[in-house]
Amino acid sequence: MSILYDEDQRAIAEAAQRVMAAHAAKDRLLALLEQTGAHDTACWQAACEQGWPAITVPASHGGLGLGLIELGLVAQAAGAVTAGAPFLTVGHGAAQALVAGDDRELADHWLPRLASGEAIATIALIAADGPLASMPGVRFADGALTGTAPAVTGALAAEAVVVWAHDGAGPVLAFAELAGVARHAMATFDATRLHADLAFAGTPARVLARGPAAQALARDLLARMAVITAHEQVGGAEALLQIGRDYALTRKAFGQPIGAFQSVKHRLAELYGLVEIARANAIHAAAREAQGDFVLAAADARIAATDAYDTAARDCVQIHGGIGVTWDSGLHLHMRRARTLAIEQGNLLFWEDLLVDHLVNAGEAA
Amino acid sequence: MTMPDIETWRSEARAWLHSVAGEFARDVRNGLTVEQDLALGRRYMRARFDAGFAGIAWPEEFGGRGFSPLHKLVFETEEMTFGMPSGYFGISLGMPVPILMRHGQDRAFVKERVLRALKGEEIWCQLFSEPSGGSDLAGLRTRAEVDGNGWRLNGQKLWTSWAQYCDYGVIVARTDPSVPKHKGLTYYWVDMRAPGVTVRPVRLAGGDSHVNEVFFDDVRLEDSQRMSPVGGGFGVAMTTLMIERYIATDSAGFGPPLERFVETALAARVNGRPAIEDGRVRSAIARNHAMRAGLDAITTRAMRMIAAGMEPGPEGSLNKLVSVRSRQKLSEQALDLLGPAGLAFDPHASARDDWAASWINAPTGRIAGGADEMLLNTIAERILGLPQDHRPDKGVPFNQIPA
Repeated sequence: MSILYDEDQRAIAEAAQRVMAAHAAKDRLLALLEQTGAHDTACWQAACEQGWPAITVPASHGGLGLGLIELGLVAQAAGAVTAGAPFLTVGHGAAQALVAGDDRELADHWLPRLASGEAIATIALIAADGPLASMPGVRFADGALTGTAPAVTGALAAEAVVVWAHDGAGPVLAFAELAGVARHAMATFDATRLHADLAFAGTPARVLARGPAAQALARDLLARMAVITAHEQVGGAEALLQIGRDYALTRKAFGQPIGAFQSVKHRLAELYGLVEIARANAIHAAAREAQGDFVLAAADARIAATDAYDTAARDCVQIHGGIGVTWDSGLHLHMRRARTLAIEQGNLLFWEDLLVDHLVNAGEAA
Repeated sequence: MTMPDIETWRSEARAWLHSVAGEFARDVRNGLTVEQDLALGRRYMRARFDAGFAGIAWPEEFGGRGFSPLHKLVFETEEMTFGMPSGYFGISLGMPVPILMRHGQDRAFVKERVLRALKGEEIWCQLFSEPSGGSDLAGLRTRAEVDGNGWRLNGQKLWTSWAQYCDYGVIVARTDPSVPKHKGLTYYWVDMRAPGVTVRPVRLAGGDSHVNEVFFDDVRLEDSQRMSPVGGGFGVAMTTLMIERYIATDSAGFGPPLERFVETALAARVNGRPAIEDGRVRSAIARNHAMRAGLDAITTRAMRMIAAGMEPGPEGSLNKLVSVRSRQKLSEQALDLLGPAGLAFDPHASARDDWAASWINAPTGRIAGGADEMLLNTIAERILGLPQDHRPDKGVPFNQIPA
């Protein structure tokens, strides 16, 4: 069921918006685009001071024990300002892998450090062939990983990673520290996402889950990160709707605000529809955490949010005309982020297929 | 008066609807003529009244239950899934009759009409749109002129739903053409059997005739039939549109459910390959699912807000805009999947069950009750605060607006 936010949740959202707005320095974000391997350290430090990495970590391990609804609200605020640090989503994936995995010792050691922000961990579920591919490029044997995990988000700053691998018999979800692992930085259009190929060469690793359990856990982790990403996308799309609307009211042409022309009005009204549908799906999916239809709700959220943010980026630039395509306008920060988020955590092609498979299987089971 | 809590109410509604489904619901109605179906509908409305599911949010003195708008919404949402023959009475009870309750002068007359309408014995229509004024309601030309101590009505209305079966109607007419268009209108009720009233059904593209043109030739109105101040009719007409703030919605756009499309795709082949494995088909399914899930989540959230005594957000206004045009496109895609069999057409099939019926009637849904373009304007102006369109007739006396 779709929830109504309670007072605590509204307070989290307001605090997140306030802190994120304070770190929304366009010039700094533009400068970061031209460096590989750098992220907005001040922004991430503020996030840690706010306790955001701890939101979904269990209280028993130094976390706040809250859920996707709360983390989603923070992600939404981060999305609105194209925050220059990618760790909340992948950090959640890594932490939940430890929470649900079989290695208590590992969880006891890492979770408190991840919750405090003292350590950063990421997760690599997407192989060159797509998310949760049956033969990923990383092999697990004799307690070690070998092979390459491509384009891992946050990899240039992380200390550890959860990896989707295989052991010859089936999938393995493994945990490895990154000291000594070669990280090949990718030059991307959204540099603060810190993407890198991780080249494992006999890297010691510990097993979190194997076989069908690994498959089920990895799918749940991917759905969780999809829901957080959907919130981030909604935040970005919503910000662009506001920016586009404000510009349409102030920019004049042919003797009136361009927002008085139906071609512009209707573009913005359509965008409003996409944003609200995406928002409703994201809230709904967050509220379905740990329920039987969670993956389906995550797919809905992911598809609607990707459509909304990509369209918002496209249309908001279009409404701005020439000024919208300049470097200094900064609108391309959203264009870049919209496309990046569309690809991270599984693209539309993946989620559309997953959703249809789910519906067809449900129909056959009925 | 104590209101049942919502979930209790929902189960009561479901239980009653199940108990009468064999007598009234979708399967029984297949193959009936409109007249037979209407007669069944009148019996259904009487049964609904007797069971306590009529006038759910209306005052008890008018035969209602005095419950909340949410109780009404919950009942209607449940009712919709059964395909009950209540459609003939939807406009009647939704708009004209509530206005009569508020503004009718003769209270004894009002009470009798309301009760008879609730029981399905009488039906009211809403005579607003005209050939020259649909989206632009205030551009209407039907005129009411002073005639002794009453009024004389002349003109033509169009798109009046179910007028051919109606006993009464509410009507907006121009009483002063020398003032700007919104200011010269007055609101009345009219007896549809009065001398000078002529109803002609208009056949729509799909072949059915639930809308009409209605002509008024020197129809006599008593001043007691007036339901607004003289010149204050536009305001009352606008409150009409506000009464039904929360109506039952359908993310399928009142077309077939998405599961039906999946079934169609599972049975079809494209160039020798299973259609369900075709990326175009899969994308259509996934996009529609995400869209409908979003609309459903908006509706669920709105209901929860109403239940919590809060005002739901304006995003509820998206439902009709988004769902009906998606239904139109999805229906085209479904007919493609059917191959040559997609050419088959049964003019009596229901738009909820049949792709061709859904497709051919979809344009009506995109135009009636606010065309897509009007809804987009409303979102842009009311929600986003963008400027109104340029209106050359603004502030100009009606009789000086260039034709």
